[in-house]
Amino acid sequence: MSFLEVRDLCLDLGEFELSGIGMRAEKGDYLALIGPSGSGKSLLLETVIGFYGLEKGRIFLEGRDITDLPPDKRQISIVYQDHVLFPHMDVFENIAYALRKKLKDKTLIEAEVRQIAGVLGIGELLHRKPSTLSGGEKQRAALARSLVVRPKLLLLDEPFSALDARTREKLRDMLRKAISEYSTTVLHVTHDFEDIWALANRVVVIRKGEVMQEGDPESVFRKPSPDFVAEFLGTNVLKGKVKALEGKLTVLESEGLEIYSADPGKPGEEITVSVRPEEIILARGAVESSARNTLKGRVAGIFKKEHLVVVELRTGNTELKAVITPTSCELLDLEPGSEIYAVFKAANARIIREPEGSRGNCVGNLDGNLDRNLDRNLDGNLGCNCEAKAAAEQG
Amino acid sequence: MQPVKYVQVKTSFVEHSWFRSATIGIACFFTFLLFMAVGTLLLVLKPSELLSALLSEEMIYSMKLSMLTSSVSTLTVLGCSVPTAYALSRFDFPGKSLIKAVLGLPMAFPELVMGLALLLLFGHGFLGPVLEALGIKVIFSKLGIVVAQFFVAFPYAVRIIYSTFEDINPRYEQVSRSFGYGEFETFRNVTLPMARSGLFASTVITFARCIGAFGAVLILAGGSYMHTEVLPVTLYLNISYGNLEMAITSGVLLMVIAFLAILIFERFEGGKL
Repeated sequence: MSFLEVRDLCLDLGEFELSGIGMRAEKGDYLALIGPSGSGKSLLLETVIGFYGLEKGRIFLEGRDITDLPPDKRQISIVYQDHVLFPHMDVFENIAYALRKKLKDKTLIEAEVRQIAGVLGIGELLHRKPSTLSGGEKQRAALARSLVVRPKLLLLDEPFSALDARTREKLRDMLRKAISEYSTTVLHVTHDFEDIWALANRVVVIRKGEVMQEGDPESVFRKPSPDFVAEFLGTNVLKGKVKALEGKLTVLESEGLEIYSADPGKPGEEITVSVRPEEIILARGAVESSARNTLKGRVAGIFKKEHLVVVELRTGNTELKAVITPTSCELLDLEPGSEIYAVFKAANARIIREPEGSRGNCVGNLDGNLDRNLDRNLDGNLGCNCEAKAAAEQG
Repeated sequence: MQPVKYVQVKTSFVEHSWFRSATIGIACFFTFLLFMAVGTLLLVLKPSELLSALLSEEMIYSMKLSMLTSSVSTLTVLGCSVPTAYALSRFDFPGKSLIKAVLGLPMAFPELVMGLALLLLFGHGFLGPVLEALGIKVIFSKLGIVVAQFFVAFPYAVRIIYSTFEDINPRYEQVSRSFGYGEFETFRNVTLPMARSGLFASTVITFARCIGAFGAVLILAGGSYMHTEVLPVTLYLNISYGNLEMAITSGVLLMVIAFLAILIFERFEGGKL
């Protein structure tokens, strides 16, 4: 049996619902739970920790059935987005409070508090009241409080989403250090893709209270399962047909475009292709490059999304979205109507197949939802990609 | 850098409708009347008259009894309303909405009727004989004052404390539970300290309601001279004898207490401790 095992978990609170969630984690795993708002991710955490009773299903931790244990007997800690530090205690008291049930010796408690404070860099803040701390400091104090008891399982409910990008990055580093030092198993609910890249070794995608996909980040991101996952990841989705095979590449015809993909396919097969917006390079002219796909189009729209720019371009019978940095946007001198080439590698044109008997296709939806999903992504893993891309575009 | 200058835009009154003027006018007029009424009460007596009435044997007795009974009722009310409010705020149990409805009743219920109901409950028909057998006498006794004050103030206290608990995110308690603390330990260590300003505010309001309770006290404890005579009863008895100085003095006392209570309440309500 796995370290943590959730079996067929069902709970209906009206607004949120879990229906038959099954999930497992090994000791030391870092599981990222992703899914749109209202998908029941947070509720899942709160049932695992025992704040809500279950209608059906069992939860096992270290092979022991903890389904009916009250939260104070489970040895699971949680950190929320709004940190939930006790306002009437200073930082030291907050952390020590967590320990008092475990340790009685005052000097031991103090030593433990100082140790975790050192790891998370809040040694200077121990005498301060939570209301006087910045967002990042509060969150570090909350992490310290949850980690200091060395919980069997640490639950993080979007702990960084209220923080700015730099603080987030710093906190991720600290968190990574702390959990390896305290060898903790983590379930982390997030909207931020960088959390997943930086921290998680497994990803679980949840929608409407159901597990949609599960796997290591690489496979989930590179091979999004059809429908929902692709939608959530905010990718370009094109419907088409396999035209021919050319060496190791598959030639696809889709929306009046010819696209090369590195994924295998059978001629005549109906498929869906996904191209992630941050993997499209924009160029003013048809450049000679290692990328097999060069699509000519016209800029249909330019939108700012946080610190990045989304460019919509019309090509063939469809529209593609690409994400670039504001600098590259300026360098390319883009404006609606200008002629532009979208360049991407064959390896980045992912073929998605609907599994047998899945519900009807959602391509129409996918397009509409792209915008909404994109801004979540933009925060995330695009940062580094875009720098590289900007260099490519300038070069 | 140039300091930013804010230009104040003068709004003309021309555009304002009669409706705006009417609402403001009514607000000013009746507040002014109220203010005048309070002023008259405070200023009508000469300081020497006020002082001699204050030091009269009856007034001292009434003040002492008022303070004593109100303190006892306030403590009892708090002791009962904190658990009641917590249960209503945090737990689901059968009959919860019924309890809420019953607790809401006295707000719209005339105090006099409440007194009558209590008189019947503690009278000869129902609980009276049982309590009498135990040597407890509620009707026409000082204990009756406390009982009447309790029932007048309890629903209000529950309401204030309930909203205080509702304002505390249950996550604080859940986090405390996750560190191994039980429900009661969590209540004592986390909820109560976080609710302290709301508790303080409700203490003050409860005390003010207890000391001002009249109708129910009069009927249950039967305002008899120098026996079950609390400040509102003193006012009532003396005004019926035509003894204005005494009546006004007890009025002034009640007014000052109420005013202080409101002041403290405003200061502490909303966690500004």
